[in-house]
Amino acid sequence: MPEDDLRRALYAAVQQRDPVARVVVIAGPDALVGRQALVWPQRAPLGDVGVPAALWARVVNDARLAIEQRRHATHTYELDEATTVRIFIEVIGRPPTLLIVGAGHIAQPLAQVGALCDFRVMVVDDRPAYARSDRFPTADQVLAIPFDDLRAHVPLDRDTYVVLVTRGHQHDVDVLLQIIEEPLAYIGMIGSRRRIQGVFELLKTTHHLTDEQLARVYAPIGLDIGAETPAEIAVAIMGEIILVRRGGTGEPLSDALWAGKRRVHTWRTRRNRGE
Amino acid sequence: MDDFYTVLAELEREGVPLAVATVVCVRGSVPREVGAKMVIHPYGQHVGTVGGGCGEADVIRAGMDVIHTGRPRLVQIDLTEDVTLQSLGVCGGIMDVFIEPWPPQETDDA
Repeated sequence: MPEDDLRRALYAAVQQRDPVARVVVIAGPDALVGRQALVWPQRAPLGDVGVPAALWARVVNDARLAIEQRRHATHTYELDEATTVRIFIEVIGRPPTLLIVGAGHIAQPLAQVGALCDFRVMVVDDRPAYARSDRFPTADQVLAIPFDDLRAHVPLDRDTYVVLVTRGHQHDVDVLLQIIEEPLAYIGMIGSRRRIQGVFELLKTTHHLTDEQLARVYAPIGLDIGAETPAEIAVAIMGEIILVRRGGTGEPLSDALWAGKRRVHTWRTRRNRGE
Repeated sequence: MDDFYTVLAELEREGVPLAVATVVCVRGSVPREVGAKMVIHPYGQHVGTVGGGCGEADVIRAGMDVIHTGRPRLVQIDLTEDVTLQSLGVCGGIMDVFIEPWPPQETDDA
């Protein structure tokens, strides 16, 4: 039964983190509604949805574009002058990975928040005493490996979000140099503004990194929400990752109601401080 | 993380007919994003959510219907009621939810 083949292929793609689009007819002629097919970026599609070949070629094209953009899509196509068909393109097969380099006090709450947000969480440290799965119950993988070996053990693809929070800046920088050319979705590195400025200067002069390369690095890491505790910093980091992934402004949504008026968001803190 | 399709593959082994609901289109403010999915289970063991509340109750009802008829349906959830403190569906938007039958796979040991 072709329907069963399709499902088996779908479940296999999910298992193998193989990006694929499920194309399904959601409205149109009764005979077509519910028909589905799988489209991969390179490979030939599995099944079709019963539309003429020329139209199917367009649908396959749109599905591949959706995979490329990592964004579901709904399109309406003209079947003939009187009939349209509406097709939903569901992009599946590769959930985002949060790769946390450094297994210290920021990494622990970050692994929790990341798992809550449906990221596949990996934690890496070169110290076996820290890189232990009992310290990271929400992580999918915890690896104790030398930082030099990172590339051999972790995905560095465009669905990977890397957070550099090792115990020392030297390690952060070493790892950064290993991964900066990869097509990662996000690279964030912890450190104060002053420290980061110094590190960037050093990277430019000694390693000849360009401003363009460094501009990809979110450092100091996280959104400015006044975070202080490790858990708050983890939220600020995850907030930035979601901002990068979904797009957004990072502004309070309520600001739009007070257009143009700059509001102070710290009244509670100030009152508590007795200012 | 528990991937939706991994959970669905496991549920399928129970051998009961299911329905799968997917948010396919949204306009305005709605509780879930395009691509949000839910399994409607004939004995009420639903998995996932397409937004909760009234809209989701409609989706579950339609899902039961899809399980019985085996025919997919496109349901529109309208959350544009006037804002009062009593009204339930006032996110301000409309979402289209596609619900398709997901019968158990035929087991062939060939």
